[in-house]
Amino acid sequence: MKRLREPLYVLLLVFFLQSCAGWAKNMEYHPFDAAKLDKLTVGKSTAAQVTEMLGPPSNIVKLSNGNAYIYRRSLSKGTGLWLLIVSFGNYDKHYDQIVIFFDKKNIMTHYGITLDAHKAAYGLPF
Amino acid sequence: MVFPFKIFPFVMYPFIVGSLITGCVSYRVINAVEGRAVPYIFEEFRIGRTTLQEALQTLGAPDQVAELEGKDVLIYQQSILANSGLSFGIPLADIWGPSFNFSAYGELVRYDLVLLSFTPDGLLSEIASEKGSRYPYLKTMLSEMQQ
Repeated sequence: MKRLREPLYVLLLVFFLQSCAGWAKNMEYHPFDAAKLDKLTVGKSTAAQVTEMLGPPSNIVKLSNGNAYIYRRSLSKGTGLWLLIVSFGNYDKHYDQIVIFFDKKNIMTHYGITLDAHKAAYGLPF
Repeated sequence: MVFPFKIFPFVMYPFIVGSLITGCVSYRVINAVEGRAVPYIFEEFRIGRTTLQEALQTLGAPDQVAELEGKDVLIYQQSILANSGLSFGIPLADIWGPSFNFSAYGELVRYDLVLLSFTPDGLLSEIASEKGSRYPYLKTMLSEMQQ
């Protein structure tokens, strides 16, 4: 048993000396407030009112019967773990998205909302 | 003066063993997920009956919006990247010159996708979906690409 003690200490030291971990967080930020959507009315609110409330959109897409304004921001979190000869990496990216549809008269007709950015998480790849 | 000699092996052994081991074998696993899980609850949708408003209420904001041949297309997608690599080498460069190094790396990106197409009146005209995440990493990587 005594014979094994020294190599075991060496291996443990190697394990800790050669190990490291890292975390990273990236944010693509647009300061729109999704709660302000409650103040907008489908069939009444105009594109101008929407941009006044939410700010300029991240993207505008021309559709068959009008336009869609896309508001998007993202949060991503990365985790890295290096254990001697094995390394693990994990990257998780989620979005907050609002897509607002307008008719040809620029009146809001529909909208869809997904607020998932907060679900980005640190972790291991299994 | 005795102390430094006693501690010497505990400083040098880890350094030597660590350098040799990390120079010889390494294995890495990387996983990257972008976007939320695609909601496969569109089975309730009916072509010609489901409206754009119902789809948006059920599925939330789409990841992509586009016009295609007079129809409005909504795309919901999640990408899943899996990467792994195994490397084995014998670091002889300092002693002998050339070193032996064998390595294998693989990267697979899979997509879960749902495409919904709507007429200008806002009625569902087409549904298409793909669940790439059902394909296992290793089996897919080792298989031949389907034509």
